[in-house]
Amino acid sequence: MKDEYEMIFKAVVEGNVEGAEKLVSDSLMGGIMAGELLNQGLIRAMDEVGTRFERGDMYIPEMLVSAKAMKAGLSILRPYLVKEGIPAIGRVIIGTVKGDMHDIGKNLVTMMLEGAGFEVIDLGTDVAPEKFAEAVRKYSPDIVGLSALLTTTMQQMKNTIEAIDDLGTRDQVKIIIGGAPVTQEYSEKIGADGYAADASKAVNWAKAIPHSNSKVF
Amino acid sequence: MLFKQLSEYSQPKMGVLSENQKNALHSASLEILQRTGVSVRLDDTRNRLAKAGCQVDNDRVFIPERLIEWALNQHPKHVVLCDRNATPAMALEGRNCYFGTGSDTPFVIDINSGLHRSAVIADIENVSRLADALHNLDFLMCMGIASDVRPEISDLYHFQAMVSNTIKPIVFTAWNASNLEAILRMAETVAGSLENLLRYPFVALYAEPTAPLIHSQIGCEKLEVICRLGLPLVYTPGLITGASSPVSHAGAIVVANAEILSGLLITQLINPGTPVIAGGGGMMTMDMHSMIASYGAPEFMFDWCSLREMGAFYGLPVFGFAGVSDALIFDQQAGIEGALWTLISALSGGNLIHDVGYLESGLTTSYEMIVAMDETIGLVKRFMQGMLVNNDTLAINTIASVGPGGHFLDVPHTLDHFRENWRPDIFCHSNRPDWNEAGASPLGDRALRKVKTILSQHKPEPLPQHVTENIKSIINNATSRLGRMD
Ligand code: B12
Repeated sequence: MKDEYEMIFKAVVEGNVEGAEKLVSDSLMGGIMAGELLNQGLIRAMDEVGTRFERGDMYIPEMLVSAKAMKAGLSILRPYLVKEGIPAIGRVIIGTVKGDMHDIGKNLVTMMLEGAGFEVIDLGTDVAPEKFAEAVRKYSPDIVGLSALLTTTMQQMKNTIEAIDDLGTRDQVKIIIGGAPVTQEYSEKIGADGYAADASKAVNWAKAIPHSNSKVF
Repeated sequence: MLFKQLSEYSQPKMGVLSENQKNALHSASLEILQRTGVSVRLDDTRNRLAKAGCQVDNDRVFIPERLIEWALNQHPKHVVLCDRNATPAMALEGRNCYFGTGSDTPFVIDINSGLHRSAVIADIENVSRLADALHNLDFLMCMGIASDVRPEISDLYHFQAMVSNTIKPIVFTAWNASNLEAILRMAETVAGSLENLLRYPFVALYAEPTAPLIHSQIGCEKLEVICRLGLPLVYTPGLITGASSPVSHAGAIVVANAEILSGLLITQLINPGTPVIAGGGGMMTMDMHSMIASYGAPEFMFDWCSLREMGAFYGLPVFGFAGVSDALIFDQQAGIEGALWTLISALSGGNLIHDVGYLESGLTTSYEMIVAMDETIGLVKRFMQGMLVNNDTLAINTIASVGPGGHFLDVPHTLDHFRENWRPDIFCHSNRPDWNEAGASPLGDRALRKVKTILSQHKPEPLPQHVTENIKSIINNATSRLGRMD
C-alpha cells in the first residue's frame, strides 16, 4: 500500500479536513490516479470509521468530522474522477416534508451519506411535494430521502411520492423514508422503496442499491 | 406547653446553581439576544418587535435588554388553571408542583395484546379517563396523536376526547392557528362563554420555539391567536443538547434561556399580561451513538433543574418533566428513570410537570407507566410535605407517658396521626407469604390490573348534551372545510 493512501486514510479517520484536502491535492500532483485515492484512501477510511462507530470506539461528532474530511477530499477529486470515467457513488435529494420543521435527524442522514461519498442536495424543512418533484427533474438524483417526525405530516410522504410520479420520474429514483414515527410497514403501504430506522442504516441501504442516473462524478 | 409559639413546616428542596452562575447565564442570554438575535418567521410578529425597538435584519431580530426587562414586568406572577367546573385547581407559582400526562406520542403499548402499535382516538379517551380517576395526576395533556382520524384536524379530535373524559385542567396542542381557533371555540362552549373561559381558564395551549433560536411562522401565528385573547399558554424550548444547542450545560441553558426570554417578549408585546408558563422546557441529551434524544440522561435532568432555577430567577411559572423514560417497555429502567425525574422535579420545584407515562424518549405511551408513576407521585408528594414541628408533633407528653421500653402502637397520638403516612396501592409492602398467595405478581401486572379496573369502572362527569353537540358540530364544520379544500 502506498504511503499516500495511508496518510489520507489517517487524516480522514482523525477528521483532519485541511490535511485530507492537502494530501489529496499533493497525491494528484504526484500522479496517483483519482480512482485509487478514492478507494484506497477516502472510502477505506470511512469504512474504518463505520466499523469503529459500530464498535463504540467512535461517536457521532467524530464520525461527522471524518465525513467532512472525506467530503473535502472528494470535492478535489471530483473533476479527475470524471476524467477517469469512474462511476459516481450516487446523488441524493433529501428534505423534511411539508408542515414539518424537525431537521436534526435529516441533517444527520445528510452528513452520513456525504461521508459515504454521496452527493447530497438538502432541500431543508417544510418542503412541499411539488418542490421535491421539481428537484427530482432538475437534479436527476438516484435517491430521494424523505424525513417526517409527525404522525400528522407522514401523509405528505405519500403526497410527495405521488407528485414525483405525476412528473413521470418515479421509476428513475429510489425513495427512502425515515423519521421517528415512520415504520417499514408504512413505507410499503405508501409505495416507497425503503425505510431506515437511523442514519447508519440509511447509508447501508443507499450503498446497497444500484445507481443508474449519475453515471460519472 | 413547651413549644407553643413554634409551628413550622420544613420544605425539602434542591438547588444546582449559584447566584453568580445565574447572573452569568442571564448576561450571556442577553448577549445572544442583542448580537446574535433570534429568527422570527412571521411578519406581524417581527413588526411588533421592530416597533417596540428591536433591530430587524430580514428575519433576524436583535433584542435590547430593556425590552426583556419590560416583558419580565408585564407577565402575571400568579397564574391559575381551573378545572372544567371553574374551580381553581393549580396555582402555578413558587414551588407548587402539579403533575400531568405527557403528550402526543405516535405509539402506545396495547393493554390487551402487549404489542407496540400506533395510537388511536380510543387511547386518548382511555388515558383521559384514567387520568381523571388517578388522584395524584393534577392535569391532562393529550397522550398521543391519533392515527385513525383526519391528520389535518386530529388536534380537534384530541381535544374532544380529552374534554369529554376528564374535568381536570387540560394542556393541549394545536397544529396551526385555525385549528387553535376551533379548539378554543370548543373550550368556550364548555365554559359557557368566552368571559367564563377567561375568568376560569381550564385549558392552556402548549407551543414551542424551533431550536435553535427560531420562532416559526406557525408558532407565531398560534401565539398571536392565544395571546390576543389573553388565555394561558406554555411556550418553552425543546432542545437536543449537542445537536440543536451546545453540548455543555451552560451553553445549552443560554440557548434555551434566550428562546424563553424572546418568546416571553413576543407574548407580552401581543398582549401585556398574558399568562405564560415560560420557564423550564426540554433539554434532551443527544446520545452520540444511538442518536436518540435521551429523556433519561442525567445531563437532561441537570439542565432542566438549571432552567427551572432561571425560571424562578425571573419569576416565571416552570414547565417540567416526570414519569418519563428512554426504556422501550414498562420495565425496571422505566421505573427508575421515571421515579428519579419525579423526585428531582419536585425537589427542584417545577410547577406544571408533564410527560407522565412517556417511554422511548417520547415516542410511546404506556398505560402501566402512567399508573405506576401516579403511585410514585403520591409517594413523592408525601415526601415533599416535609415536617411540621409544633407542640403536638414533638409529642413530648406522649413520649413521657410511654416512657422507656413502652410502645406507641395504640396511644392517642398515633391514632391521631398515623393516617398521615403514605400507603401504597400497587407497590408491594406485603410479606412474602401474602404476596405468594396473591399471585406473586410483579409490579407491571398489578399496574395493568389497576388500569383495567379503572377503565371498566370509572365514569367521568359527563358534559351537558348541548355542549357535546356543539363540539361535534365544530368538528363537522372543520371536516367539511377540509373536504372543500381537497
Ligand atoms: C427535538 C424535537 C422537536 C424540536 C425540533 C427542532 C429541530 N430543529 O429539529 C421542536 C421543539 C421544534 C419540535 C417541535 C414540535 N414537535 Co417535536 N420532537 C422533538 C424530539 C424530542 C426529538 C426529535 C429529534 O430530533 N430526535 C433526534 C434525531 C436524530 O432523531 P430522528 O429525527 O428520529 O432521526 C433519526 C431517524 O428517525 C432517522 N431519520 C430521520 N429522518 C430520516 C430521513 C430518511 C430519509 C431516513 C432514511 C432516515 C431518517 O435517522 C435519524 C438519525 O438516526 C421528538 C421526540 C423523539 N424522541 O423523537 C419530538 C416529537 C417528534 N415532536 C412532536 C411534536 C408533537 C412536535 C410539535 C407538533 C409540538 C407542538 N405542539 O408544537 C412541534 C411540531 C413543529 C413542526 N411543525 O414541525 C412529537 C410527534 C408525535 C407524533 N405522534 O407525531 C414527538 C414524538 C414528541 C412528542 N411525543 O410530543 N420538536
